[in-house]
Amino acid sequence: MTIKKTTGVFLYNPLDGCADTIDFSAVSEYAKQSPYVAAVWNSENLRLIDAKEVAAKFGENGIKRIVIAGDTPGMVKSFFTKAMIAAGNNPDDVFLAGFREYGATKKIHTDRAKAIVACAIQNIAFDTIAIPEEVDVNPDTLVIGAGIAGIQASLEIADAGQKVYLVEKSGTIGGHMAMFDKTFPTLDCAACILTPKMVEIGQHSKITLMTYCEVKGVSGSAGNFKVRILKKARRVNLATCIGCGICAEKCPGSADSEFDAATSQRKAIYMPFPQAVPNKYLIDAESCTYLKNGKCGTCVKVCPVPDCINLDAKDEEVEINVGNIIVATGFKTFDAAKAENFGYGKFPNVLTSLEFERLINAAGPTEGNIVFRSLDKKGRKVFKQDGEVPKSVALIHCIGSRDENHNKYCSKVCCMYSLKLAHLVVEKIPDAQVYEYFIDMRAFGKGYEEFYERIKHEGVHMIRGRTAKIEESGNQLLLRSEDILAGTILEQKIDMVILAVGLEPKEDASQLSAMLGIEQTEDGWYMESNYVSNPVNTFTGGISIAGVCQGPKDIPDTVAQASAAASRVLQSIVKGKISSSIKDISLSHIEAQLSKLTLTEEKI
Amino acid sequence: MIQRVNANLVKEIEKFGKGTWNECFHCGNCTATCPLTEQGSLFPRKPYRAMQMGLKTTLAQSTEPWLCYYCGDCSQSCPRDANPGETMMILRRYLTTVYDWTGISKLIYKSKAMELIAIFIIAIITAVLYLHYTIAPSNVAGSLIGKDGGVLINSMANSEIIHVGDWIMAGILAFLLITNVFNMWYKIILSDKSVKVPFGQYFLQVFSVVTNFLTQKRFNKCDGPKYYWFIHLFLMLSYVMLFTMIVFFLAWFQTDTVYDWWHPQRLLGYIATIGLFVGVIYFINNRLKKMKENSKYSHYTDWTFLVLLLLTTTTGILMHFFRIYGMVAATYFTYLIHLMVLVPMLVIEVPFSKWSHLAYRPVAVYFAKVKNAATKK
Repeated sequence: MTIKKTTGVFLYNPLDGCADTIDFSAVSEYAKQSPYVAAVWNSENLRLIDAKEVAAKFGENGIKRIVIAGDTPGMVKSFFTKAMIAAGNNPDDVFLAGFREYGATKKIHTDRAKAIVACAIQNIAFDTIAIPEEVDVNPDTLVIGAGIAGIQASLEIADAGQKVYLVEKSGTIGGHMAMFDKTFPTLDCAACILTPKMVEIGQHSKITLMTYCEVKGVSGSAGNFKVRILKKARRVNLATCIGCGICAEKCPGSADSEFDAATSQRKAIYMPFPQAVPNKYLIDAESCTYLKNGKCGTCVKVCPVPDCINLDAKDEEVEINVGNIIVATGFKTFDAAKAENFGYGKFPNVLTSLEFERLINAAGPTEGNIVFRSLDKKGRKVFKQDGEVPKSVALIHCIGSRDENHNKYCSKVCCMYSLKLAHLVVEKIPDAQVYEYFIDMRAFGKGYEEFYERIKHEGVHMIRGRTAKIEESGNQLLLRSEDILAGTILEQKIDMVILAVGLEPKEDASQLSAMLGIEQTEDGWYMESNYVSNPVNTFTGGISIAGVCQGPKDIPDTVAQASAAASRVLQSIVKGKISSSIKDISLSHIEAQLSKLTLTEEKI
Repeated sequence: MIQRVNANLVKEIEKFGKGTWNECFHCGNCTATCPLTEQGSLFPRKPYRAMQMGLKTTLAQSTEPWLCYYCGDCSQSCPRDANPGETMMILRRYLTTVYDWTGISKLIYKSKAMELIAIFIIAIITAVLYLHYTIAPSNVAGSLIGKDGGVLINSMANSEIIHVGDWIMAGILAFLLITNVFNMWYKIILSDKSVKVPFGQYFLQVFSVVTNFLTQKRFNKCDGPKYYWFIHLFLMLSYVMLFTMIVFFLAWFQTDTVYDWWHPQRLLGYIATIGLFVGVIYFINNRLKKMKENSKYSHYTDWTFLVLLLLTTTTGILMHFFRIYGMVAATYFTYLIHLMVLVPMLVIEVPFSKWSHLAYRPVAVYFAKVKNAATKK
């Protein structure tokens, strides 16, 4: 049987010029060696402008079938269908070889790209050949990050009777959700939903909670990972600390409270917040007087439990074996100081939404009273409990989001949380004037549009037109914007401004992705194996993602995704087997499979 | 007035510069940033919207693009990189063609070749007329060097003859420019049925417009370094001064006697020349180095204008020195080249291209004031 060279390959590279992409010249060379391929083109030697011209090239080279290979090749399919018709070929013989679908996006994935092209040349779906090997699975699971996503996923797995290691970087679990006052659109108290779950985590016999720990290294593969975990020195014995708080009372060192988004101070020995899990103290090395100067030790002296505090404790490393990993590392908020025209950092009463969440929280610095931020004796910005109450509050949307100068994407949650905050202001200060400056109001979820309507009826002024700049005007802030709907320039004097900051990937997101061997999108979010049909798994077998680390989303979506990730993990545990990743399949393996399946004469 | 969305207009406007018409998502940042925008004349967002929708009538009626002096603040802070500042520039170019009833402006703005051909034709006509009506140095009987050592320029290119040419040219320019401004008035005020301008308003606003023209005080309201405003003002005043001296007082300006340097004839000439030269070099440098938002994107008509102005200035300076130092032939032919650059520059740029903003901008400011005052009543 003779093989006819009737296949043409077009390499489509819309990401040309990006720093790290598939090595297209290597793919081109590889495709040329195929016994079926008559010609290989790219956008430089085949201009996709005139279908007739391309059809003529098909004629010259005897092309009967065409393979479009590259990132999102579907974008140019219609052109080739036209060209095929013009050349008198069957328009159905246009085959797509999409790299992104199978996670081939970077230079290191070039071999996979070659395999995808080889499959398309023979008109065989890549995933029918590239079936990852199934291996035995270790039933234990590691969950990285203990925000609402990590908590939900851990509970799902643990409740099914499987062991979970829950690793959290900070001293307590809870994440950002623990900082929020209310949730939208139901206006439930965030803590009332979260703290029972947190307590459950702390008490669950199947969950090994590792707070103040960090993942330092991952080796092995799906079904059997070895994970190195750094246990940062907490310096307080978790087993014996009774959480009495006498140490913190006497402690001379202090720092900004992370939990209160720096709106209040905590001691060097501290419990992140009263409902923290574990409900124990820890010592922050950076603000501890003893660790800075070598002299102090007050906490050791006052501690009623013998040997509970060990100021000289050192970091330790432990290794655990797990079969699956769920990444639920969450986000950080956009640094509002980067958007200079809003004066954050310059004007004390320009707050970020996270600061305001703490301010308005009954457990926050003012027990929930909304007051002006003022300077204390040391010149620090503080909220005094008996401070003056603002009479007008403005919320500005899209800070750092939908902005070419910062992050291009929509952070998805800001519109709704701004509406929620507006409601809370109206609730706490009934005579206050509240303004929402927005570009587009994105009330996209179940009950969200109704929520928006409700807030409007509460008397909040909705202004379409984001503020351009904030200036100081006496004791107030002057906001200049265009009211797009009325067609007028607005200059409003406002007492307090809340910036609806967007969400960003964590600072160390790329470090962790390198460690785990998972991919990131351009914006830095972790990449799912399929945005539409599989937003939970990654291209690395045994590693799933949940929550905002995959992309901005609200709490309901996060919880749903976390449960989905847990179900993927349980699937493999129940089966006892897990598929390793597509990544582990070698090019030679694919080629061996393909050589058994020659294209038949009539197919050509 | 009811209008229709015209999807083809943006395709046409794209030819007037680096357009990014589909980027804007209407957050209002540009308008709120702009130090010049005011009630009744909101820009850049509103004209941007009119452009996106292809609202030809709205654009033709709007004075807003002319009220912008392009400080670039809006483009810098635009969250979409939609270049609202450059879009105002593009709309000014587009509106220049809208006001021009002859259609020549459209040809020049859309085709580089047409612009060069037009310049070439006018240069040739100028050269033919010059060579025909002046006397070449070799044909002049007697000495061409004056007592003070300078060239007796009026013996070759008599100022009276040149002056006639000047008048003809000025007449043509005035006719074209005035009819275009009249067209602009029709488009902006008469065709806008929503506003009835009382006749008295036209007189009430004249003073403020004249002061704005002479001081460019609106330009000065733009954020950014003040020297930018000063250089532009100096360039503009220098141009007006030289134009006046050449077109209306050539006999006084082009004399056979070489006066002392402090004589008003020379002193004014020098000051204006410095204004032109410094301004042109400054703007060329800006555009080459893309220093500011407003010099990042240069349309070829911007370059033609600057290059012609630079050539005019340098040939003028050269001619002056050749004349003072008694270099007869050099003076004669530099004069020829000077006119071959100057005349096309004026004839092409003033009524049809970039230089027309000298008229359109103050007139638009005037119309905007008149219109806003009428709306208020």
